Amino acid sequence: MLRLFKNKFFLLLLITVFIFILMGVTAKQNSKLNWFSNTINVIFSPVEKFFSGIGDKIGSGLSYFGDVKEVKKENAKLKSDIDKLEKDTADLERYKQENDRLREALNLKNQFNQYDSIGGNVIAKDPGNWFDIFTVDAGTKDGVGNNYPVIAGSGLVGRVLNAGFISSKIMTIIDVDSTVSGMLTKTGDQVIIKGDLSLKEQGLCRMDYIPTDEDISVGDSVVTSGIGGYYPKGIFIGKIKEIRQTNNEFTRYAIIEPVVDFKRLEEVFILKNKNVGNTGTDGAGK
Amino acid sequence: MKARNIVFAVSIFIIVVLQTTVLHYIKIFGITPNIMVVVVIGIALLFGNTQGAIAGFILGFCQDITFGKMLGFYALAGLYLGLVVGIVNKRLYRENILVIIFFTFISTIVYELSVYLVHEWGMHLFSPENSNNLDILYAVRNITLPEAIYNSIISVPIYALMIRINDRFENANKSIRKY
Repeated sequence: MLRLFKNKFFLLLLITVFIFILMGVTAKQNSKLNWFSNTINVIFSPVEKFFSGIGDKIGSGLSYFGDVKEVKKENAKLKSDIDKLEKDTADLERYKQENDRLREALNLKNQFNQYDSIGGNVIAKDPGNWFDIFTVDAGTKDGVGNNYPVIAGSGLVGRVLNAGFISSKIMTIIDVDSTVSGMLTKTGDQVIIKGDLSLKEQGLCRMDYIPTDEDISVGDSVVTSGIGGYYPKGIFIGKIKEIRQTNNEFTRYAIIEPVVDFKRLEEVFILKNKNVGNTGTDGAGK
Repeated sequence: MKARNIVFAVSIFIIVVLQTTVLHYIKIFGITPNIMVVVVIGIALLFGNTQGAIAGFILGFCQDITFGKMLGFYALAGLYLGLVVGIVNKRLYRENILVIIFFTFISTIVYELSVYLVHEWGMHLFSPENSNNLDILYAVRNITLPEAIYNSIISVPIYALMIRINDRFENANKSIRKY
């Protein structure tokens, strides 16, 4: 009996040590062992995709029944909206021109020209409550690689944590381990955008290292600065929602509301540098 | 025994898929219940520490593969979860519903807090420029506690289902032994 217990104890110790080594090896992104998890993910991904589709259908199906009365009201509203939208279209055209002009002024050349975008649907989300990672149904077979930047609409979502064969893990910018080098569009100063545990649930993140003489105000926009290797310069991150003063230091931080709505994220685009490997490997060396 | 293993494997597959795809649709206060933890605790209570540890390891490993930032982190956490719950309980009062709720509640808090602390400690150690300030109060009040309550509630039907499946196998075994 004692020997058995000893054996079990020894086995436990052996497994623990082995896993610690495994953790150390696989913590590096370009680890050779990733093929293993990629292989098993090939089994999980299609099923997850299927269930995710069902979940979406149920969600939209439930709202269908509740909405019959609303439809009439909505129709009237939509008609009036069309008028408004026509006016908005004209406005947007004007903004677009203004945007181009401002971009030029800021020296933010349209760098996305040298990127291909690979579309992907969100198929599964991190089961725990600590992190904000999701998987999309695009992988190395579509040309996705580690550390490629991910956007949705016009805003930054995050980066590819691990590209598998048919699916990839994506870490969002609101994840606690995410750090993005940002730039205030008003002044061009560098800031750091980090995920925060207490802000994650509301889909917000925090901005640190704001220069003390910097004059920031609520509503200022933040874009990526291009420093750090993961993200190209000039991707829109979000706007300042709130500025907070820390009481024990002369420092302050701001709360950023990303343009991307992380709760309703369904489709993303992964940016792939046409000069193959540039974005992907830059970051990995960090 | 073989049939039982097949059921076990299929269940694990279903649990992982459900947990990662459908469960975040039933978020309450932004918190998702963790049926993986509930199932590991259930197996540990029902079958003992070795089975609990194996189930915890496999489920944790699946979580590592699908979402982990490194391989083995959740596997190890699950292994110890199953082991400790199994050792502490020693198959006592395993059919008392209050024991199950109590164990799920306490274990979830301990498990989730360990995940948080170990992760933050690891980040602090290996990548200090990315590490965050510890906010244990927030972590307990806003994440761990609600999840523990949620898990406890959800543990009742899951555990009932597990007992039913187990009984079916045991009955099948008995009827085989008769002849």
